[in-house]
Amino acid sequence: MALSIWVAIIGLLVGIAIGWNIPLFIPAAYGKYLGIAVLAALDSVFGGIRAAMDDKFDNVVFLSGFVGNALMAALLVFIGDRLGVEIYIAAVVAFGVRLFQNLGIIRRHLFKRA
Amino acid sequence: MRGKRHASIAVVALILGVLLALQFRVSSEPQPAVASGERARELTNDLSELRKEKNNLALDVADLEERVMTARQGIAQAEGAIINEIEKHRVLAGLTAVAGPGVEIILQNVQRAEQPTEDVALFAIRDEELVRLVNELRGAGAEAIAVNGQRLMGTSEIRLAGPFVNVNLTRISPPYQVQAVGDPVVLHSMLELPGGLVETLRDWGIDVQIEVLEELIIPAYQGTVRLEYARPYKEGD
Repeated sequence: MALSIWVAIIGLLVGIAIGWNIPLFIPAAYGKYLGIAVLAALDSVFGGIRAAMDDKFDNVVFLSGFVGNALMAALLVFIGDRLGVEIYIAAVVAFGVRLFQNLGIIRRHLFKRA
Repeated sequence: MRGKRHASIAVVALILGVLLALQFRVSSEPQPAVASGERARELTNDLSELRKEKNNLALDVADLEERVMTARQGIAQAEGAIINEIEKHRVLAGLTAVAGPGVEIILQNVQRAEQPTEDVALFAIRDEELVRLVNELRGAGAEAIAVNGQRLMGTSEIRLAGPFVNVNLTRISPPYQVQAVGDPVVLHSMLELPGGLVETLRDWGIDVQIEVLEELIIPAYQGTVRLEYARPYKEGD
């Protein structure tokens, strides 16, 4: 469903507008957490779009996946900081691989439709 | 079902947008360099080490200050001793006025009836009498002597210059007043010794008056002391 893409894009734009204007400031020390959160959200959005296109979308799975992935990734960053080992790269790689897989599937769906 | 799914996607996309915007703002705004965890630990270690070092150095400072204090006290004591020593030597050298018990001797030429056959100068008091008197006083332990207000010091002379007597290059004239600080009893008895100097002088017709004083003041040497040739000699020089 191309509609879900448009919904996602509109949500993204509104979110950027809000984020740009709210007087919230995140210290640079938490930049890593923010980056991993962005990645988790990106993964969830693409996963959600792909599931919607496959007609396999499950709201509970989608939301719990988003929250769970974000928390897990944050935990990895935290532990990595304490141990001095950059474990969070595991999350980055996993999210990245899935991101491109989902992107590929979405692309195929779009071209099939066209 | 369909509306719900779009709502979910929209919410997550919205959160993504907010996060993206925040991340952009964070990385675009200049940030003070914040130490990472590892660096922070390193700095904490450094800090505690430096604190220890600082404490040790503070202890050192206290220790050294104490030593300086004792050294200062030592200096003060040494200064006191040196000043005492200097004062003593100034007294001995005749550079300060001194006071103390002693005797005062007044020598005067006897007024005699003018006899044309006699030479007045023959009966006048000469330098020799004064020198012998001073010598006698020193022998009796006089600590400071002045002749007519001229303090005698190590380099003082008493000598005849024409019809006058010079002391410390200053002309003095009769009556001669010799003051000496010392044990008054010893000084007096030494002078009045039978067959001693005073008796001899009196035999020669000189009027000698000796007065024992509880307190007399002897002035300081008025000239300046300059050593042109003599210098301190030390073994191995």
